Amino acid sequence: MDHFLLLVLDAFLIAVFFAFLWKRDGKERWRYFWKVFAALALGAVVVGWLMYPFPRP
Amino acid sequence: MARKTDSEGGVGSLPLPLLMGLAWLVPGLGHLLLGRRLRAAVFAGVIVVAFVVGILLRGELILPRPGDPLSVLAAIAALGNGCLFVLAKALGLGDGVVTASGYEYGNTFLLTAGMMNLLLVLDVHDIAVGHKDF
Repeated sequence: MDHFLLLVLDAFLIAVFFAFLWKRDGKERWRYFWKVFAALALGAVVVGWLMYPFPRP
Repeated sequence: MARKTDSEGGVGSLPLPLLMGLAWLVPGLGHLLLGRRLRAAVFAGVIVVAFVVGILLRGELILPRPGDPLSVLAAIAALGNGCLFVLAKALGLGDGVVTASGYEYGNTFLLTAGMMNLLLVLDVHDIAVGHKDF
């Protein structure tokens, strides 16, 4: 399976989990879900690009 | 042990260690027993999906390896999956295939699922003793 898709799936599951763990109502959860999901998915892409000039030996 | 009563009509008579043990054993069961049905269903779904994806990607349910202290931490996370760990091991799954393209991602999903379940055990504790009211 495509690695980016797996990254998105993992970010989705974690974001749903923490939205329901830490937030009480639907609106709060929805907002928090998007924050966590975006941070994980976009953060992984950004970190990936930052690591690009430093390949494993 | 006296615990704060559950406002949503959950089972309030179980001793806290037993409740936490059940929460670890079956993902979502602790919240279900405390009457948090929606959250129990969501947590169980998320953890089971993450675990199954990890197994399908041929990830490894890591156990402690001699000379590898980090494997102890990974084993704690893997054991956090409760009955899913036991079931997978009983079925001969989760041995991991290092050469599989999904191995590292599989490990990530399996470890994530275990750590999320361990967080649920702590959440169940907090709800049961009244530190959290939802």
